[in-house]
Amino acid sequence: MKMSKFWLLLILSLSFVLVLAACGNDEEASGEEDDTADEADDNDTDDDAGEDGTEEDDAEGDEGEGEAQSGGTLTAGMYSAPGHQFNPLFYSDAYEANILSFTHESLVQLDENLEYEPALAESWEINDDFTTITYTLNEGVQWHDGEPLTAEDVYFTYATIADPEYVAAGGVRTNYVVNLSGYEEYNSGETDTFEGVEVIDDRTVAFHYDEPNIKILFDTSFIIVPAHPFEGMAISDIPDASASRDAGEVVGSGPFVLSEFIEGEQYALTAFADYWGGEPYLDGITWRVIQQSVMPGLLESGELDMIAEPNGVPASDFDRVDGLDNVTTYMTQDFGYQYMGIKHHHRTTDDVEAGAITPDNWVENEKVSDVRVRQALASAINRQGIVDGLLYGMGSVMEAPFPEASWAYDADAVNEYPYDPDRANELLDEAGYVDVTGDGFREDPDGNEWTLNLDYPTGNEVRERTAPIIQEELGAVGIRVDLRQPREAGPHFDMVEADNTDWDLYLAGWSLAVGDPDPAGIWQSTAAYNYTRWNDETSDELIQKAVTPPDAFEVEYRAEVYNEWAAHVSEQVPMVFLYSSDNIYAYNSDLQNVKELPAGIYQDSHLWYLAQ
Amino acid sequence: MHRYIIRRTLQFIPMLFLVTVVVFALAKAAPGDVLSGEMLDPNIPHEVLEERREALGLNDPLPVQYWSWLTSVAQGDFGNSMQYTGRSVMDLIQSRIMNTFYLSLFALGVTLAIAIPIGIYSATRKYSLFDYGATTFAFLGLATPNFFAALLAIWLLSFQFGWFPAQGSTSAIGLTGFELFIDKLRHLVLPGFTLGLASTAMYMRYMRTEILEIKGSDFIRTAQAKGLSNNSVLYKHTLRNALIPIITLLGVEFGLLLSGAVITENVFNYPGLGTLFLNSIQNRDYPVIMAINLILAVSILVGNLLADIFYAVVDPRIRYD
Repeated sequence: MKMSKFWLLLILSLSFVLVLAACGNDEEASGEEDDTADEADDNDTDDDAGEDGTEEDDAEGDEGEGEAQSGGTLTAGMYSAPGHQFNPLFYSDAYEANILSFTHESLVQLDENLEYEPALAESWEINDDFTTITYTLNEGVQWHDGEPLTAEDVYFTYATIADPEYVAAGGVRTNYVVNLSGYEEYNSGETDTFEGVEVIDDRTVAFHYDEPNIKILFDTSFIIVPAHPFEGMAISDIPDASASRDAGEVVGSGPFVLSEFIEGEQYALTAFADYWGGEPYLDGITWRVIQQSVMPGLLESGELDMIAEPNGVPASDFDRVDGLDNVTTYMTQDFGYQYMGIKHHHRTTDDVEAGAITPDNWVENEKVSDVRVRQALASAINRQGIVDGLLYGMGSVMEAPFPEASWAYDADAVNEYPYDPDRANELLDEAGYVDVTGDGFREDPDGNEWTLNLDYPTGNEVRERTAPIIQEELGAVGIRVDLRQPREAGPHFDMVEADNTDWDLYLAGWSLAVGDPDPAGIWQSTAAYNYTRWNDETSDELIQKAVTPPDAFEVEYRAEVYNEWAAHVSEQVPMVFLYSSDNIYAYNSDLQNVKELPAGIYQDSHLWYLAQ
Repeated sequence: MHRYIIRRTLQFIPMLFLVTVVVFALAKAAPGDVLSGEMLDPNIPHEVLEERREALGLNDPLPVQYWSWLTSVAQGDFGNSMQYTGRSVMDLIQSRIMNTFYLSLFALGVTLAIAIPIGIYSATRKYSLFDYGATTFAFLGLATPNFFAALLAIWLLSFQFGWFPAQGSTSAIGLTGFELFIDKLRHLVLPGFTLGLASTAMYMRYMRTEILEIKGSDFIRTAQAKGLSNNSVLYKHTLRNALIPIITLLGVEFGLLLSGAVITENVFNYPGLGTLFLNSIQNRDYPVIMAINLILAVSILVGNLLADIFYAVVDPRIRYD
């Protein structure tokens, strides 16, 4: 008997736990997302379309079938919490962007060919020499708080980015304003009016440039922010203002309002009844922060209706998620790609310290200066094998940095390097890199040891796994690769940038040019982001040619030049493009009217509805 | 006693100063800063990043950075997060600290509620089947990595049986009162047990050994000789003395729980200090890293002080003068 108290305690606590568990079941039973009967109908169509694993057409196909129904809340998942900066001027992470794509809008947006189409603006006119673009805004656009959206808000948005205090306050988007007329004067504080953006009347606004601007649409595609909540506020106070941070206070013009959130867990968006495009069918969208490892389980149980940007469904989970009856998947090329960089040149230590990008001072890296060596590298790596093996086939091999959906992309323009060790061997033999010591590895043409150093970062699991594969495959054609210890991403990329090192090869990723295909930011020899330090006159000339007026006013002309440039890149192999993975989005099959675009599925979310 | 508390509290100051130096040095020794890493948007001009570094003071010499940090911390200002534009560190921590506090408390409750009864029972039934069983079970708990136990719990209790929520600290926005309390409690069960079970073994063994040791001592024999009942000997005499080392452990444990929750919180996506800490480390958000480290250091120091004070309460033989 003497232990009875403890047993009592144990039993009490156990029953307490059970009571807790029971409470939960009740709540879930009263939840909204149980409609098994409807799912059964949808299943048949889904499975058929799902076989090939690529596009599923029910979003388009179902439109005719049923009337859009109002009501219902969508629960969407993301793998990390946003950083709580809901002001587009200052946001920094992809999770914030996720929410902003429902609450805020730009003047123009990207269509299925990655060309611009009207959004907040109803139309635009570009003058003959591409120095002015005049937008007419849609009629009756309201901010979430009922104020009308006017040209003054557009002016405010761009003037804030151009403000001298903007960067110190935490902003980084100055690329949208630096080319506008009067930027220098405004940014240095000489004037109080920013000439670059001209308010003509409430619904008309013009952007002026000193030089013809080929990328005029891209440069004017920044998200528009309301002026009135920030009136009279110092720029440095804006990031911390309630209208930038707090639920219910953040004001946008998009179809949904950020109405409530629990920090780090849930972000509730509710429909904006006065949305200019029409009241959204859905009552709201709730974003939940979840661990990637439990995502398929939550999708299956119906606790989660959608998983989309920024990471989507991992390729390794695709089969499981695609096999779920209640889930529709959509795949599109990710606008980022992974590559094996080749350090063509190294900067001098003086230049690194001074932060100078001066190609004339660069020291050539002779180990990789022979184009045949670089072509051999591309031929010796089984890139399709990496896509098939590590990405479960959900990705593509590329030879030039343009997204497949873009008008600048042309699969036929480039030289291809299919996996071909024989060709790699031939190229290396031809270049004079032969094995004279008989140790199985080639020496350089002078008979000296020839080792290529390969550095890579941690953090991206698939990329990490490619490093030893590359070492092995290059070793198979006699290239000795010194695979170094991986570094954390931060330090790795710091070293990629400060290249007064002994690096030859490195792994990294870049984004594809989406808004405009101009590759200058990464590929122009003098660009800070030209991490390979590739210095090629032809390339530089072509990049400039593609944006030189007046020929470049024609998209066809630019496309032609970019094809020429892509051909040159694929011949010179400044870097080995490894793969571009697919983004896999998954959403509840009951969700209708989802527009599956190359840039994602968030457009026109006010038309989404749940079949009931 | 009062003098002792004051003396100990004063000793905190040089300790904390040392902690700040170490914390700062460690944080800065790691390569990279908040702006380095995989910058995937080539549209952001490179010069802007340099300007940002300058504005954040990342280009200043280290002693300057340390001094400006220390002086503002001394005034109670932990500065702004570097990663989250416009957010003060205090605000970030405030939004998380209560969650971690609840979780630690719950885990501690779990640990003690299991460890102490089992420890006592094992001691009274030395070398019985129950004793061996409990020991095996406890060590299994100790040997299982946190993240594994967490995933197992999610899979079994959340996905298979659907008893408890797998992620987060609440399930819906807008709950209030009792509903919110129950909801929060349900979300605590899985992470709380995962965290709490891990240290159960240690407490259980301590409890068992202490009781066994004290049972053999003279004053227990005296008590028994006086004809006291077994229960009275066990609870009034043995247990009270056996709890002393447990109190020392508890003092440190609370701080450890705060930091040990890092992994558990991440697996369960529980928005506490642990998730914030890991995220800040990954992004080199120095002000946040240093603030959390300071909080952990203070909580361990305070925990130790409290343990010392409670010593005197449970054991009148111990005096501080």
